[in-house]
Amino acid sequence: MIEVHLYGKLRRFTENQRPSRDSVICVPVGEEDTIGDIVERIGIPHEELGSNIFLNGEYSAKTRRVRAGDRLGIFPDDMQVLYKWYFRKAGGEDHDRDQALRHVRKVSP
Amino acid sequence: MSKILRVNMTDLTTKFESVPEKYRLTAGRGLTSAITCDEVPPTCHPLGPNNKIVYASGITTGTAAPTSGRISIGGKSPLTGTIKETNSGGMAGQKLARLGIKAIILEGQPKGNGQQWVLKVDKDGAELLPTADEWLGKGLYETYPLLFDRFGERVAIIGIGVAGERLMRNAGICVNDPENRPARYAGRGGMGAVMGSKGLKAIILDDKDGPGVPIANKKVFDTGRKKLLEALRTHAVTKPGGGLNTYGTAVLVNIINEAGGFPTRNFREGRFEGAARISGETIHETCENRGGVGMTGHGCSPGCVIKCSNVYPKPDGSELVSVQEYESVWAFGAHCGIDDLDITGECIRLCNDYGLDTIEAGVTIGVAMEAGLANFGDGKKAIELMQEIGKGTPLGHVLGNGAAVTARVFGVVRCPTVKGQAIPAYDPRAIKGIGITYAISTMGADHTSGYTIAPEMLGVSGKVDQFIVEKADMARNFQYATAFIDISGHCLFIAFAILDIPSGLEGMVEECNGVLGTNWTLDDIGRIGGEIIRMERLFNEAAGFTTAHDRLPEFMKYEKLPPHNVVFDVPDETLDKVHAT
Repeated sequence: MIEVHLYGKLRRFTENQRPSRDSVICVPVGEEDTIGDIVERIGIPHEELGSNIFLNGEYSAKTRRVRAGDRLGIFPDDMQVLYKWYFRKAGGEDHDRDQALRHVRKVSP
Repeated sequence: MSKILRVNMTDLTTKFESVPEKYRLTAGRGLTSAITCDEVPPTCHPLGPNNKIVYASGITTGTAAPTSGRISIGGKSPLTGTIKETNSGGMAGQKLARLGIKAIILEGQPKGNGQQWVLKVDKDGAELLPTADEWLGKGLYETYPLLFDRFGERVAIIGIGVAGERLMRNAGICVNDPENRPARYAGRGGMGAVMGSKGLKAIILDDKDGPGVPIANKKVFDTGRKKLLEALRTHAVTKPGGGLNTYGTAVLVNIINEAGGFPTRNFREGRFEGAARISGETIHETCENRGGVGMTGHGCSPGCVIKCSNVYPKPDGSELVSVQEYESVWAFGAHCGIDDLDITGECIRLCNDYGLDTIEAGVTIGVAMEAGLANFGDGKKAIELMQEIGKGTPLGHVLGNGAAVTARVFGVVRCPTVKGQAIPAYDPRAIKGIGITYAISTMGADHTSGYTIAPEMLGVSGKVDQFIVEKADMARNFQYATAFIDISGHCLFIAFAILDIPSGLEGMVEECNGVLGTNWTLDDIGRIGGEIIRMERLFNEAAGFTTAHDRLPEFMKYEKLPPHNVVFDVPDETLDKVHAT
């Protein structure tokens, strides 16, 4: 099992929707599962998923593998306010940061 | 033509000067820092007669540019001893700009008798008026309504509270919000004490029938404005109904907590068990459940698209405070081990009332808890400690001088400050990129002074990276881009949209071109932002700062932060490379 903490409108997939408490759901996990598989298993629609996903507190790509006992935190698209430039995304492609980097090259003097 | 208003508090004179050519194309932080560098001796005492304060709106402030109501306030900081720019939303920036005033320079110092003054500025000129006794020594929730009674409801007020009157190093400068609350702050760096040291209680700005902001090329301006507006309205973070609008900046509570970088009980841990109870989501829900005046999506200045402010209600629906902001809620919340928004709200209200920066004040209370003046989690005692500052007791003076002074007085080693300024709500051990910002910023620990980049790009592991110079360039360029936003007059939060949506970034530059008649391109952002930062670093060097000051507190190098159990391991040489030329 993996412990998934859901926030904002995604709390509806757990038993608790009150934001003053954690909204947690335990999901079975297989050997080869990635974060993306867990998201699918919970039933979170693609368009509601944001880039702010944390596996054991690490900002992570959807392609990253998960293991039993992990803690996964998922924020919806309207809550992706992490200053993403500060983080390297673990376990996969990092399109967000790469885009920001390309962007900043444009403003180099 | 816009002018500079020079106010001399030694001989109590005011005069309007034409704008020198070298200042014509700058504004906001660019102008406050340039004038500070040109006119303030770097080694002067920040509270003495030779320091100055400069107030300047941004390039696009006062126009129809979206989310552009910022006012910059700069000079030498009594908190850090460095150059300082601190900016605020609220009503003052737009009114100052529409009066045709590019900057107000406040200089000199009155001799002796303790008389305090109010500066009244309108379309006809400027005059210094003696304060009425009833405006002094009181909370700003009492003083501001008296000032609005006297000068009219439609003026803007830039004022200081009792903290500024008493020259406390954590005194901020207050700007009224659209409903005339004393609720917006150019809070950081103790600039309220500088204003107090000059005997100026408040600046009253009445822009009725003022000349407005001239726009050199309306077509270019309108094109840019539309592009920026479109970017802000479509980005998930900044759009109406987006994250900032719905939950306020405290949307970050759950995110930074999930990331394990939410400093808890004076930076002992990176995750707070009570985070959910002080989150933006809970603020949003409480506003809905309690009803009354409670609201999220409150705008701090007219023309803002993002509207990330809130009005937080008491249980009976009446107003407790505006605004429960991320860093404020963190400082009085997780940092003090307090998981109750009614407590954080009351502490923020006291900051607004006394004229204090919420980040510095909250961090100070946490340091006082570390020192044993209260237990972590004791909200009642936190409020009592805050009230000491309001009463002006000796303990209140210690606390009102900020976290570093409090730590020193009580022998606290775990003192979360850089260059004497409290570290805000992101632990550098878990979020190393922001640690670099805190370390190398010209302003002390400041989360708004420049977004730097993830540290592995800078070769954190000590591994020699052949591209290290290029990567340090990138980190530096982020700071430059941020400095440019500060001079444009826009709120820093447009960064979410313009760093993701290229046309938004172009729009910001085109708006500036439209106002000034320049032909800047994206390449100029780095050049202009870079000039400001280089100038600020030169001031700091002349004031005695070296790379040895560009460091985080030592405990972060040897105390591991749970849950990641990491220390701050970015090598000093890497920090020094960012600004090495």
